[in-house]
Amino acid sequence: MSAFFQKMKGGSQSPPGVGFSEIAWSWLGAFLGIIPVALLHYHFFPDGDLVFLIGSFGASAVLIYGAVRSPLAQPRNLVGGHLISAVIGVAAWQLLGSAPWLAAAFAVATAIAAMHATKTLHPPGGATALIAVIGSEKIHSLGFLYVFFPVLTGVAIMLIVALVVNNLAGSRKYPEFWW
Amino acid sequence: MKLSAFNECRQTITDEDIVTAMKKIPGYLDITPSDFMEIYRVAYDHALHRLKHAITAEQIMTRQVISVPETAPLAEVVRLLADHDISGMPVIQPDRTLAGVISEKDFLSKMGGGGSPSFMHVILQCLEKTGCIAADIKKLTAKEIMSTPAVTISGTTPLFEVADIMDRHAINRVPVIDDAGRLAGIVARSDLIQTMC
Repeated sequence: MSAFFQKMKGGSQSPPGVGFSEIAWSWLGAFLGIIPVALLHYHFFPDGDLVFLIGSFGASAVLIYGAVRSPLAQPRNLVGGHLISAVIGVAAWQLLGSAPWLAAAFAVATAIAAMHATKTLHPPGGATALIAVIGSEKIHSLGFLYVFFPVLTGVAIMLIVALVVNNLAGSRKYPEFWW
Repeated sequence: MKLSAFNECRQTITDEDIVTAMKKIPGYLDITPSDFMEIYRVAYDHALHRLKHAITAEQIMTRQVISVPETAPLAEVVRLLADHDISGMPVIQPDRTLAGVISEKDFLSKMGGGGSPSFMHVILQCLEKTGCIAADIKKLTAKEIMSTPAVTISGTTPLFEVADIMDRHAINRVPVIDDAGRLAGIVARSDLIQTMC
């Protein structure tokens, strides 16, 4: 029992912070990556859904523009994580939509398990799966089209911007691996 | 080779070393220093195991071995050693099976009257007695002063075992023999050092 509580003490050191240029490149990448995604979504979705979707891509932006070296930020994870989670989210709504609270929990938990199993773990995937359940009727009516639009289109735009902006920085290289 | 020494080496890496390295590498590293330490420990043990078992004598031995037949006069042996700037070499029979090893130690032992005298012991004898014993060995052949049976290893002997054998027998080179007992190569201390670094 005491061993269990001992684990909560942490005890490890926090990693060092990053320099100014790293902060500046992260800002620029995220700014340029979110602009086209936001423009696209403002023309297609009512405000409520826009907030949700940008939330998911905003989380991806932290990884692919802010933690470029992270395994979680690589193309395999970015693309695979979002697509797999989107499929699971839509399926969860269609199967368990009568109990949205259950569908929501099932979507997120299954998305994490599936991403782990396919080596595509990408934290924003959890949001993508969740949005398929808690989104408006407009999102629900898309069915599995949700996987391609807005998910795949947004992912593709963010990936292209990451490839260009991250590789313009002398101290950065993206990706570490594709697949 | 003493494994404990390596383990002490490993312990000398500190959290501060890791944090310093993380600071030097540009970009955000999605890892804590203690995660790295854990990876490092496991990787180190794995590398140690690999060095211990995967690298064999065959991979580092010299195949073009300078050797002499048993019947070679000592003058020829010494000339070969001097010309190639080596301190010892295998002595072989006509079918290339190993007969023994001849080295500086065998010469010193013979000239110092047995045992394992140093070069200075031999000089001392030269100076204190009326003459040097070198004259006595002029007519001898390799067979008469070589060390036999020689310490040998096979091509599949792991590197760490080779180092251990050299250490235990206090030798600087060890011949590698094939299944039929023929000379296949030789591993010198310097080969080991080059591989380790």
